[in-house]
Amino acid sequence: MSTRLGSASAIALVLAASISVAVLARPTARQNEKAVSIPTAGSVSRPAITKEVVERGRYLIISHDCNGCHGGADPSSKGWLAGVSGPQDEFLIGPCYVTPGATPCFRTRPRNLTPDNMTGLGRFTERQIFNALRYGLRPEDTPDVEITSTTPGKGNFPLHPHYLAPPMPWPAWRHMPDSDLVAIAAYLKRGLKPVRNKVPDSEGPPDFWASAYTVEKIGSYPSPAFPTANEVGTMEAKRP
Amino acid sequence: MGRASVLRLLVVAFLTINTRVPRSWRHPPPPSPIEDESNELAAPPTLQNASRSPHVVEVSITAAPAQLAIVPGKTTSALAYNGRIPGPTLDVHEGDSVIVHFTNQLSEPTTVHWHGLHIPATQDGSPFEPVMPGERHDYVFRIAPGTAGTYWYHPHPDRRSGYQVAMGLFGGIIVRPARDPVPAPIQEKLLILSDNRFRPDGTIDFADSGSMAAIVDAENGREGDILFVNGQHTPSLSIRAGEVQRWRIVNASAARIYRLSVDGATLFRVGSDGGLFEHPEKVSEVVLANSDRVELLVRGDAAPGTRTALRALPYDRYDPHTRPTDWNRPLDLLSLTYSNAAPAAPVAIPSTLRPVAWLDTSRIAEHRVVVFTQGMINGKHMDMNRVDFTGRVGTTEIWEIENLVGMDHPFHLHGFRFQVLDRNGEPELVPRWEDTIDVPPHESVRIVVRFDDFAGKWMFHCHILDHEDMGMMGVLLLE
Repeated sequence: MSTRLGSASAIALVLAASISVAVLARPTARQNEKAVSIPTAGSVSRPAITKEVVERGRYLIISHDCNGCHGGADPSSKGWLAGVSGPQDEFLIGPCYVTPGATPCFRTRPRNLTPDNMTGLGRFTERQIFNALRYGLRPEDTPDVEITSTTPGKGNFPLHPHYLAPPMPWPAWRHMPDSDLVAIAAYLKRGLKPVRNKVPDSEGPPDFWASAYTVEKIGSYPSPAFPTANEVGTMEAKRP
Repeated sequence: MGRASVLRLLVVAFLTINTRVPRSWRHPPPPSPIEDESNELAAPPTLQNASRSPHVVEVSITAAPAQLAIVPGKTTSALAYNGRIPGPTLDVHEGDSVIVHFTNQLSEPTTVHWHGLHIPATQDGSPFEPVMPGERHDYVFRIAPGTAGTYWYHPHPDRRSGYQVAMGLFGGIIVRPARDPVPAPIQEKLLILSDNRFRPDGTIDFADSGSMAAIVDAENGREGDILFVNGQHTPSLSIRAGEVQRWRIVNASAARIYRLSVDGATLFRVGSDGGLFEHPEKVSEVVLANSDRVELLVRGDAAPGTRTALRALPYDRYDPHTRPTDWNRPLDLLSLTYSNAAPAAPVAIPSTLRPVAWLDTSRIAEHRVVVFTQGMINGKHMDMNRVDFTGRVGTTEIWEIENLVGMDHPFHLHGFRFQVLDRNGEPELVPRWEDTIDVPPHESVRIVVRFDDFAGKWMFHCHILDHEDMGMMGVLLLE
C-alpha cells in the first residue's frame, strides 16, 4: 500500500467487516534462527548493546513495518517513527468506521517512537520499552522494573495493567526472542534522533484494554509447547 | 505497507470490537440537586484565638466524625474539623506565632498539613508525623514575613489523604500583612471550592473496590458531580453594580480543576498561591488546579437587579481513556445577585500591590528533573523509607517538572514557595509565588526554589489526592 492514509483506512475498513473473526494471527514467519528458544517471563537475556545490536533493531523495525503506522517510508524519510502527523494517521477502533456514531468507538494514535524527552520515548528506559513490546504495557503507566510474571499483581506485573492501544500488534510480537526486543529498544533509544511531535493520547476503554487482552483472546505467553493437538511432532513430510 | 501486514494488524485491532466496554462505569446518578433560593454564601467562622498575647494565635481544632445535613432530607456521615465543612478559617498575620491544639477523634491516623506555609518540617503535618486516633498534638509555628496570602489546611496521612478530604476535612487559612495593599472598602470573600458525590441515601459515595468506577477514580482522581462553595451548593453572593470585591478562592477538590469565569463582571487577578502579585492582571478566566489559590478583584458590571454566575467552564484535564462523557458541561458554582441599589461609585483598582522580585538564579546548587508518569514520579512509587532527593539548606535549586502522560498533573512542593521560570521553554514574564503548579499533558515547567531554612524531610507530589495516595510522591531531604 502506497500511503499511510491507505493502510489506516484499509485496516479500519476490514476491521469493521470482519466482526466474526476471533482468532489472533500468529506471526507469519519466525526469523530463521538456528535454534528457536522458548522465551519465558523474567529471565531476560540482555546482550551488550553494540552497533550490530542497534542495526539488528533497525532491521527488525523495517521488516516488521513499524513505520507503517508510526511514520515514514524508510529511515531517511521525514517523520520516521515520529508518530501520527494528522487525523489521517489515526485508527478508528470499533464499528463506527462503517456506521457513524456506533459504539464502542475509540480513536487511537500511533505514538512518537523517537527519543524526544517530552513527546517520544526519551524519558522511558529500554527496559520499559522492552516491557511494552513483551507485555503490551504502556511505559508511562508501568514502573521501570523487571517483570517476572504475566499474572496481574505478581512478579511486578501490574494489578491493573494498562495496555497499549490497538492495533499495536504486541500480542504477536511479544513472542520474538528477548534479544530481538532488546535490539528494537536499543535502536529506538540510541539509533534515532529525537523528533518533537506531540501525539495526543489514544482513546480507549477505561480498563485500558484489559478485557480485550485476556489469555482466551490473545493466547498464552510463552506459547504452548510444540506439538499441541493441532500440530505434528514428527518431522516427516506428508504425502498428498 | 504490505497487504498481509494490514490484515495481520487488523485482526489484532479487531479484538477490540469484542471488548466489552462497560456502559455504567460512570458515577451513579446523583440525588436531586441541593438548591436553596435563600442560600446566601456564608464565610466559614474564624478559629477563635484563645491567647491574649500580641502576635500569638492559639486555637483548637478537632477532627471527628459528624452527622451533617448536606443532601436534603438526609443525614450524611462525614468527617469534620470542629463539626463543620469546611473547617473554621485560620486567620493570622505575618509574624504571628501560631499554636494549634489538635485532637484526632477519628478512628484512623491523620495529620494536619498547613498547605503552603513556610514552617519547620516537623510541623508540616506530613505523613512522617501522624497523629494517632485519640491523640492530641500541638502544631507550633511562626508565620514567615512576606508570606501574606491564602492557604488551606487538610489531612496528609500515608495513603488516606483522598479519603479524609472527601469525607470533609479541609479548611482555609488567611495570612494577612501588617498593612494590606488592597484598600479596606473592598469587601473580602473566601470561596473554598469542593466537589463530592452521594448515594441516594445521602452517604458519601466511594467507588466499590475493584469496580470500573474505582479504576476511573484512580485514573482521573475522584471527582464529585455536586459542587460546593464553602460547603454550600450554588449559593448566591450579593454584589452591587460597580462594586469591587476581593475573592480569595481555594480549590480544595481532590481532582477537579476549575476553569473559572464570571459573566457580567470584570476580573483582575491580583494574587496566586503565595499572595499578591506586583501588579493586577485583567483576565477573562482563571484555571485553578487542585490546591491552587487565586485572589481576584471582581468588579460587578451587570445591571442592578440582575443575576449572573461564577461558572466552572469545561476544562479537559482527562486521559482520553477515562474522560467523563459530560466533561464539557459548564457548571454553576454560585450565583451573583445584583442588588437593586444604584451603581456604586467607581473604585480604583490599585496599580501596584507589593514588590515581588525574581529569586537570584546566578548560583544554582542543583538542577533536578521530576518526571510525572501515571501514578509515579521518575518511574517510582512513593516509599516512606526512601529519600529521592537530598539538598542543602541555604541553596537555590531549579527543578524541571515534566508530564509525560495525557492528563494534567498538578505539582506541589511542601514547605517552600517557588517561582515558575518557564513553561515548555517559554519564559514567564512576571515573578509570582506558587506552591502548586499544574503541568498539562506533555508539557514541562521549570521552577526555582530557595531552601532558606528548615532542614528535614519534605514531600513533593501530584496534588490529585488519589494519585498522591497511590504513591505519586517523593521525598526531599534537606540537610
